Amino acid sequence: MNGRTIQLVAVSSAMAVTVMAGTMLAETHKEFRFNVGPKSGLSVSNPYGSVSVKPSSGNVVIVTAIVASDRVEVDNNLVGNRVEIQSHLLAGADPQSGRVDYEILAPADASVTLHSTSGALRAEKLHGDVTLEGAAATVDVRDISDAHVHVKTLNGPVTITNVQQGHVEVDSLSGTVTLNSVTGPLVQVISTSGAINYIGDFGGRGDYRLTSHSGDIEAIVPDNVSADVSARSVRGELHDDIHLQPRQHLPYSSAEGHNFWGSVGRPSTSSTVVLRTFSGKIHLSKHATKQ
Amino acid sequence: MTCVELERSLAEVDDGSEPEQRDHLKHCPRCAALVAELLAIACAGGELREAEEPSPRVWNSIEIELRKEGLIGPQRPRHSLLPSFGNRWTWGHWLAPAAAILLLTVGIYLRRDSQNSARPVADSTSAPVKASVSDDVRAGLNDDDLMAEIAQQPPALKAQYTDNLQRVNDYIRDAKTSVDADPTDDEARRSLMEAYQQKAMLFELALDRSLQ
Repeated sequence: MNGRTIQLVAVSSAMAVTVMAGTMLAETHKEFRFNVGPKSGLSVSNPYGSVSVKPSSGNVVIVTAIVASDRVEVDNNLVGNRVEIQSHLLAGADPQSGRVDYEILAPADASVTLHSTSGALRAEKLHGDVTLEGAAATVDVRDISDAHVHVKTLNGPVTITNVQQGHVEVDSLSGTVTLNSVTGPLVQVISTSGAINYIGDFGGRGDYRLTSHSGDIEAIVPDNVSADVSARSVRGELHDDIHLQPRQHLPYSSAEGHNFWGSVGRPSTSSTVVLRTFSGKIHLSKHATKQ
Repeated sequence: MTCVELERSLAEVDDGSEPEQRDHLKHCPRCAALVAELLAIACAGGELREAEEPSPRVWNSIEIELRKEGLIGPQRPRHSLLPSFGNRWTWGHWLAPAAAILLLTVGIYLRRDSQNSARPVADSTSAPVKASVSDDVRAGLNDDDLMAEIAQQPPALKAQYTDNLQRVNDYIRDAKTSVDADPTDDEARRSLMEAYQQKAMLFELALDRSLQ
């Protein structure tokens, strides 16, 4: 084999590798559009990658997908009034090559179900029910009203902001859960070891229940809060910096651990608040006021 | 047979034993889980019924009356649901019904314990809470199965699941200790339910992961 032949083989090989790599990892944009009726459904299952849903104008669902490679396909279906999107992993797909990032516009009244293992899940400005699930997924829900919000994660952090008049239920094994301006008839967070932060006024005469086995629970409330608060940490510390008016009897008979039960504000507008942890710390405080 | 057709057919043959049903159930984990849950509920209902079971004579009388009225037909041989699912079912496919059974078991346990606590002291102290492991294993939520399911996952992910499994078991243990300390404490009982819910969710997430 002479020098020129070797050169040709080397150049050809390099080109072939480049073309193959380009084919395998070429990022492509895809768009799908569906006309739907009122109160439609949208479900997205995406093992690797993010999903973001915002309101569209009118009864239309527009899905924009950024597909990392040809090792993953986007399956899409309109079944009745429900749009179903699924990232279909092909042989050899891994978290990089199997990644799809979705930007979705959906009617504000649509019921939305998002599922991802590791990508960020985000839903905002909707008033249909929202269900988000993912092991390590980062969950961000904001500006939802008159709808139920259900979230499940393994260790992904959960942030819920400005959700009014709905049932909010969050289950997380070890992710930090932060609720900011979240009110409604039912607000419940259950965690095994994650911390729970609540910033808001426990409004709406609702039932608020924040429980973590070993995570800390912190509630920061405004001056005008009205709530009946029952708090217990079996082995952890408990700090009441909002100066609850104590009740005479605890709602439970056991004196195990550190407890307090008291109220603040106007009883007629009070919500019921239960804070419970076994080994975490509970801290109730007021917003820092500007001088 | 589609999923909708299967659901309709369950009104006729509710154990999924017809050949068409079996074929569909072999390839559709969702419907299989539905049928298994129905079976689990039926089984749990049987357990609950034991507490205040009327005599067999009462049931026979009801059955005779229903047959006279033509509301039920003659009995025919019934096949067991469980073998019809075939050997392709891994433990993971049993997760949903197992979780349902687990929660039912906890519910029954709490209910029974509540009844015991209302009895004289001698009764209530004679049945301390057992370790969580036996309940979990009985319900099919065995820690070893979870570890086997995530064995092929990357080490970092395995470590996450192992850590969370340890923590949720601690949660269950502490919650049971609280229920033992004061069986009348509703909050403690609720914590126990929540701890089990967390464990069921851990198994669910692990299964999702392993199916990818």
